[in-house]
Amino acid sequence: MTTTLPPRPAPGAARDEADAARPATTASPATRVLGAAALVATALLVLYGLVISPADREMADSVRLMYIHVPAATYLYVGCFFTTVASAMWLRRRTPGWDALAEAGAEIALVFSIITLGTGSLWGRPTWGTYWTWDARLTSTAVLTAMLVGYLALRRLELDPAARSTRAAVLGLLLVPNVIVVNRSVEWWRSLHQGSTLVKLDPSIEGTMLVALMVGFVAFGLIFAWLMVHRFRIAWLDQKADGLDLEAALAARRAESRAPTAPETEVTP
Amino acid sequence: MTHAGYVAAGWIGAGVLIGGYAVTLVRRGRRLARQVPPGERRWS
Repeated sequence: MTTTLPPRPAPGAARDEADAARPATTASPATRVLGAAALVATALLVLYGLVISPADREMADSVRLMYIHVPAATYLYVGCFFTTVASAMWLRRRTPGWDALAEAGAEIALVFSIITLGTGSLWGRPTWGTYWTWDARLTSTAVLTAMLVGYLALRRLELDPAARSTRAAVLGLLLVPNVIVVNRSVEWWRSLHQGSTLVKLDPSIEGTMLVALMVGFVAFGLIFAWLMVHRFRIAWLDQKADGLDLEAALAARRAESRAPTAPETEVTP
Repeated sequence: MTHAGYVAAGWIGAGVLIGGYAVTLVRRGRRLARQVPPGERRWS
């Protein structure tokens, strides 16, 4: 009696099937956990920032804007730090991962800079009596925001990708020096903006206000991490998609050059 | 506008900006992930 064996799968077929089953998304189990943690921390921030913490003696309820303004400014700095370090690494190593990280850091830093400037202006109106003043801290933050816009605009130019990344990296190197200017501006120049509230052994904020601010740092940190991972993966996929487009264009060009040319028709007078 | 109005504008504005940006990232990621072979998506 003969038995027929099932056909042996081709080498790599199991891997191909596993690849095909992967969901087409930038999410992963880890980012889902990170996203859930960010949502929980945001809910806690709303509870502490808007309900539990009391109004300030001087700033009244507008102190509640500080629970998002200060963490947003901090993660604006962190985003710039990522971009500057990744830009330096790109210029040194020329590996696509560093380029993707630099782009991700700058875009998220821009989002946080808009929140920083927006909440700062909304806080300034009831506290200083104006939405905007050409103060050293405010002006240097606006300059940093303009640099981030310029950096992202540079990345969208129709250039050779390597040349574009190199030019963007040179601008990316200037972000952290500018962050230092923003951070030190309240000490280097006379400024309306208050100095550091937390970076002292005896912080000028305490009790539930301090807890609310700390919850703000945690929530914004988790949000920043979630956004960074997704934005990095998008930049990575973008590079891969561009590479595939280029390969497809080259293959089409090769096929075109290999195709037999049509015989010339004899023209009779 | 009262203090509460400025606070509400700041918190809602920040929430809308971050939420909108997050949704844009998810959609853009899905669109790009479909254009690339599954093997390139090392995280999934």
